[in-house]
Amino acid sequence: MSEAAAEATGTNALPHREKLLASAWQWTEPRLVAAAEWANPILVKETRQALKSRQFVATFLIVLIACWVVSIGGVVLIGPRIRYEAAGGVMLLVYYAVLAFPLTVIVPYSAFRSIASEREDNTYDLLSISTLTPWQIIAGKLGSALLQMLVFLSAVSPCIGFTFLLKGVDVLTVALLIGYAALASLGLSAVALLSGTLVQVRYSQVIVSVGLVVTLMGAFYGMILFAQSFIRDSYLVLQEEEFWIVNLALLTLYATTFAIVSCAAAMRISFASENRSTPLRRLLLLQQACFVGWIAAIAHEEGLRSLPGAVAATTIVLSVYWYLAGTLMTSEWPFFSRRVQRSLPASKLGRWLLTWLNPGPGTGYMLAVSNMTGVVTVGLTIALVFGAFGTGGPSRADLVYFCLLSWGYVVALLGIGAMLTRLLRKYIFVSMPAGFLMHAIVFLAACGVPQVIHFMYYSTSFTSASPMTHVSNPVWTLARLIEDGAGSVDALTLTTIVLTAAAITLLLNLRWIAAETQPRRAVLPERVEFDEQQLHPEPEPKPSNPWDREAAEGV
Amino acid sequence: MIQGRAPMIELRRLHRYFGDTKAVQDMSFEVYSGEVLGYIGPNGAGKTTSMRILATLDEPTHGEAFVDGFSVIDDPDRVRRRLGFMPDYFGTYENVSVREYLDFFGRAYGLRGTERLSAIDRVMEFTLLDRIQDKPTSGLSKGMKQRLCLGRTIIHDPGVLILDEPAAGLDPRARIELREMISRLAHAGKAVLISSHILTELAEICDRVAIIEQGKLIAAGSVDEISEAANPTSLIRLRVLDDAGPITRWLEERADIDNLVADADLLTFNHDGGPNDQAELLRQIVGEGFQLVEFASKTKSLEDVFLHVTEGRVQ
Repeated sequence: MSEAAAEATGTNALPHREKLLASAWQWTEPRLVAAAEWANPILVKETRQALKSRQFVATFLIVLIACWVVSIGGVVLIGPRIRYEAAGGVMLLVYYAVLAFPLTVIVPYSAFRSIASEREDNTYDLLSISTLTPWQIIAGKLGSALLQMLVFLSAVSPCIGFTFLLKGVDVLTVALLIGYAALASLGLSAVALLSGTLVQVRYSQVIVSVGLVVTLMGAFYGMILFAQSFIRDSYLVLQEEEFWIVNLALLTLYATTFAIVSCAAAMRISFASENRSTPLRRLLLLQQACFVGWIAAIAHEEGLRSLPGAVAATTIVLSVYWYLAGTLMTSEWPFFSRRVQRSLPASKLGRWLLTWLNPGPGTGYMLAVSNMTGVVTVGLTIALVFGAFGTGGPSRADLVYFCLLSWGYVVALLGIGAMLTRLLRKYIFVSMPAGFLMHAIVFLAACGVPQVIHFMYYSTSFTSASPMTHVSNPVWTLARLIEDGAGSVDALTLTTIVLTAAAITLLLNLRWIAAETQPRRAVLPERVEFDEQQLHPEPEPKPSNPWDREAAEGV
Repeated sequence: MIQGRAPMIELRRLHRYFGDTKAVQDMSFEVYSGEVLGYIGPNGAGKTTSMRILATLDEPTHGEAFVDGFSVIDDPDRVRRRLGFMPDYFGTYENVSVREYLDFFGRAYGLRGTERLSAIDRVMEFTLLDRIQDKPTSGLSKGMKQRLCLGRTIIHDPGVLILDEPAAGLDPRARIELREMISRLAHAGKAVLISSHILTELAEICDRVAIIEQGKLIAAGSVDEISEAANPTSLIRLRVLDDAGPITRWLEERADIDNLVADADLLTFNHDGGPNDQAELLRQIVGEGFQLVEFASKTKSLEDVFLHVTEGRVQ
């Protein structure tokens, strides 16, 4: 064959292409190997396991077959109308259902099983005594969930791409739907991992497992319903600016909640002497900051008229938030391990600013109280400075009472729960769930006892009772205050009583709060200091002038 | 304490309570590098509990435990780098081969690149697992699983080994091989704390033993030391050439001898005292002119000592 003929048939070009491919692979392979070296060990192990697992292969094949069946069945059913009918939406919804099931049910449940089976197969202890940190373990499990998710996405994505070729769906809708599914899958996996770390014994594992499956199935149906309405209305909502703002706000909420859930899972499996509380407290503060930031931005956009509503909403949400967080923080163990003492803030400024982030029930109580004080101070300032809100929303007086009562209820109820937990600890061991239960009892008593009196002496009507009957009931009092105004609940008397109760509770708690602020930073033992120096030696000082350089080089 | 050397394992007045159950009470002992300490006691004596505390899987109610000078409570991360723990159960994964299993734990202990590959090769050669490196771990025999678990325990070349019942359920050949491996590890300078119910095995590889019962340490030291401290009498057997009557009468008059049984030319009795006293007794018998064919002192086995110092109570 002549050279020209060879060129025409492309046989000369082939070795050149192969050479290019080979050199590209030669460049890529060592980099992949190097990346695998530094990959999370659990991710590497679980990927290897998944590739050999029959369950994974079967699930993947079922998803693939379901996609083929939907594609062939859909095209047959639509028939020749496929050329002009907007069938993309329907097809996308069916493909989305096929994708959403593994992403919202299989992947998160696998994550749960992955951590639960470590306990069942006695490998959890082996992981615990390795040098893997709890964060690495959780990150590895999450990475494995992410990888599985990508594999399922890769199976369904050609089909979803096919719907774009049909009429009725735009690329942004498809991208957003896939994004939502991926985020839901990852978020549910984090929740599943946290659930997996909560179960210690078999019977609780069964209960948590059933609860998780029900939640995941609910999430799956929720995803389908959401996708249905989103595909139908996307051409409208995507045009609106509010849609993107809400999405961004929800993304912030998602990211911070994801961080809190993952951190909680890591803290659950960390060693007892480890500081399990401070990282979570930091994340709570971050989430609060994000929430307040978004409310402030929205209020700024909406103008002065929206301020009362924004203040009331922020106060309600953050009161519930800090009350719930407070119930957990005040149930923490009141003693610092020496390991925790080594990491306490050493400087005066550090102690001044960061003491409430230290673990312990007293500091936890004060963190909740401080944040509530901050929230209420901002709310009161807004209520007093921007007096003329205009029409709509609560009045200035209502808002002032609302803020003060919210603060009072959180401080009093948390303080009473914390004191009871502390009292009980003198006699028996009170775990964190038991402490949480104690707070729940206090809250239910505060709300339930007035409600019983209400039904006994008044009527079943929500508004007919005397406000003083419900003095301990934050739900009734705050709801009536915001709905019917300060006059309907004798707000001044109520606020005086609640604030007095809160002040007394705070004072009664102060003694043991003060005790928790006493420990100072513990000195590092010599053995640890020496080991630290060997592990992380200080870098040799670099020569700062030519003479030093010459001396260093021995010139 | 061995002068001039810091202990690799140290328990200081360790207590562990589970509600009203006192699993470990006031336990203190030390293990030095190159030493094998046998940890023996009846079921439920607190061996596994104290080993789990040392392995940073549990925390003590009171007291301290140190590995290579690091507190297991305050510095569990540093302890884990220096410690290999082999629990009394296998922890194997589905769909993972022997090599992949060791590779995973190599990575989990922070070994990277060639360091990890050579560690895997070293461990497989040591435990003779190289021939089955591609076999799935779930399909291994018990003996092979034990080897694999030992391999995992030493993959990061720790200075301290804690082995909880490593020979349980193994056939005689596997037990001998495991014993040899442990001896080699001790010769390599590792401090080994090993618990086992097979006391004859322990006696052969242990430098010292610690006997615990009901969570308390009741004896610690070499087998001879414990034996002597627990019961200084020894069983003597002697055979005479001619009539046993005169020597029997001579022995009966002695205060340091009791339980004398004469059967023709064979006499057995308990003698108060250690080896020096036995040598003195032998010298006196010969000095009296009795003609002896045999004079034997029965050495107490670890089993004898164990049975003597424990009462077999379980919590």
